[in-house]
Amino acid sequence: MARLDLHEESVDGVAILGVRGRVDTTTAPQFGARLTEIFQDGSRGLVLDLHELEYISSAGFRELLLAARRADKVARRLILCSIPGKVQQIFDIGGFVDLFSIAASRDEALNAAR
Amino acid sequence: MHKPANILYTVDEVPPLGVTLMSGLQQVGLISVFLLFPLLVGREANLTDAQQINLLSISMVGLAVAAVLPALRIGPVGAGYLAPAVFTAVYLGPSLLAAKVGGLPLVLGMTVFAGSVGIALSAAMRRLRSFFPPEIAGLVVILIGIKTGTIGVRYMLGIDTSGPSSLAELAVPMGSLATMIGFSIWARGYPKLFCALIGMCVGYAIAALIGTLGGVEIGRISASPLLGVPSIGQFGWAFDYSLAPAFTVAALAACLRTVGNLTTCQKINDADWVRPDMRQIGNGVLADALTTVSAGLLGTMGMNSSPSAIGLSTATGVTSRRVAYAIAAIFLALSLFPKAAATLTVMPRPVMGAMLVFAASSVLVSGLEIINLRLLDSRRTYVIGLSLMLGLAVDFFPGYFASLPERLHPLTDSSLALGMLSAIALNMLFRIGVRRTQRLIVDPEEVEASNIERFMTSRGATWGARRDVIERATFNLEQSVETLASSGIAAGPLEIEVSFDEFTLDIRVSYEGLPLELAQKRPSNEEIMASEEGERKLAGFMLQRLADRVSVSQKGDRSTIHFHFDH
Repeated sequence: MARLDLHEESVDGVAILGVRGRVDTTTAPQFGARLTEIFQDGSRGLVLDLHELEYISSAGFRELLLAARRADKVARRLILCSIPGKVQQIFDIGGFVDLFSIAASRDEALNAAR
Repeated sequence: MHKPANILYTVDEVPPLGVTLMSGLQQVGLISVFLLFPLLVGREANLTDAQQINLLSISMVGLAVAAVLPALRIGPVGAGYLAPAVFTAVYLGPSLLAAKVGGLPLVLGMTVFAGSVGIALSAAMRRLRSFFPPEIAGLVVILIGIKTGTIGVRYMLGIDTSGPSSLAELAVPMGSLATMIGFSIWARGYPKLFCALIGMCVGYAIAALIGTLGGVEIGRISASPLLGVPSIGQFGWAFDYSLAPAFTVAALAACLRTVGNLTTCQKINDADWVRPDMRQIGNGVLADALTTVSAGLLGTMGMNSSPSAIGLSTATGVTSRRVAYAIAAIFLALSLFPKAAATLTVMPRPVMGAMLVFAASSVLVSGLEIINLRLLDSRRTYVIGLSLMLGLAVDFFPGYFASLPERLHPLTDSSLALGMLSAIALNMLFRIGVRRTQRLIVDPEEVEASNIERFMTSRGATWGARRDVIERATFNLEQSVETLASSGIAAGPLEIEVSFDEFTLDIRVSYEGLPLELAQKRPSNEEIMASEEGERKLAGFMLQRLADRVSVSQKGDRSTIHFHFDH
């Protein structure tokens, strides 16, 4: 399996990016570049489906913060959803839970992003 | 401590008086089922009817003491939970043997001895921890759940009675059990709280309707006196060295069972629970041993904390320790009314069975959850799997085990004793060859994170470490290696040393280069986004938060990061 696998779809003009694997120093540039492209392509919002995310390091969090800033600039919504338990713990200790809009499920995230 | 969603009143909450009393009454209904055990022992000791009723009344006083002691928090006595001790199958085998050999005085003397063994074990609890890891406590809880459930099914179906239950008779346990489960799942408020009591009453009502509860039982109640103070100490005490091994094994099983039960108590009362509080558990084990000593001194058989009672409190959502005092008050009152004691003894066996099966379901799942907290490798898989099968074999093939030499019977006549001893022995055997310190060399030019994760997961499984601790440690190791490699701080290979014992997990990452900066304060979002320096500060901050202790040191041109995790 690739270290990071990104798969994208669109529902009602909202982009959904599924993130599978690891977002670390090696893969963070690829992750960040894809997020930038999505915000440039005119989607109404972006849902990051993280249910297959295995690991995210400080490098990954940096890309998430940059993505959130880009979303604000272009007035789009960025919603994270389905964060696995062990990754959720990393969000907690890094103080990121209150910084992002986080939904429990993909449907809930889609409703929020529309 | 964070209140779990399924619990209405946690251990330190004070429910309304009505809820406390009704919950106590419900527990008394369940616990009374286990009065069957002293009655069986009394019968084996050839007691008269009057002595039997006295034994039952004394047993109720014992149950009052056994409800209060575990709920206390006085010095080293009591874990402070609603974990009432009850008469238990653990002591039934040895007590029946003692009753046969030397009558009730020998049962009582050996019960005091078993309680004293329990007191000694509670003092050595912490030192013995590596011999009794949580997966063995979980196995003990599972075996007890199976044993309790099996007795329940036996009672429900009328096995071992004059004939199996007819379809009409089956309506009693089925109606009773269906009521308990139905109210537990779909009801709200008080009906949910008192589902077991309601189910018990439904069972009594159906039994009266179909005629299995009637004149004979009412006659037995009428024949007993209305009031009477139980006579304590009328039988005396005796001791027999040849029974000491059987009672020692029973005390050990009771001790392990209490560890499992109190672990369950801690877990069900705290949604944020991550690890057993061994000091508190040691206090609970001491209280449990004291209940057995007091039972022997009062004049009844040994007791042990009840997974059924804990299961009932979980199912109803009332785990407040105030309920323990209500249980004690009700039992003390009941002990003064032999007629009331007689009323309890006429509870139809199928209703007892339904209550046991209802409670056993929660017990079984608790055991599975305790085991699941640990990473299990092949060693631990065999410890659990083989011991479970060996324990069950005692119940499946009793004839074979009865044919073994009599001196082995104390160890082989109970699924719990054999399963537990097997698990302890295999756990000790399989420790051979397990290295408690492991090393890994990582080249910072070619970091393969999945190798680090595999290394940590496999070591954790071999050691039987807790899943959550290994997950935190793995993140710390991966994040630190990533930071050291990407920042160029480390020149040359990273040497990783991971050490484990039952109490701690320590990771040391040493390398040639300057120490990694560990930020005490979280960098701002702007700092993190501005540069890789901010990203590194975030890494250092997170590394500190996940470990219980972190330190960095430098010796010559080499630096070391030390992560310490309590286990």
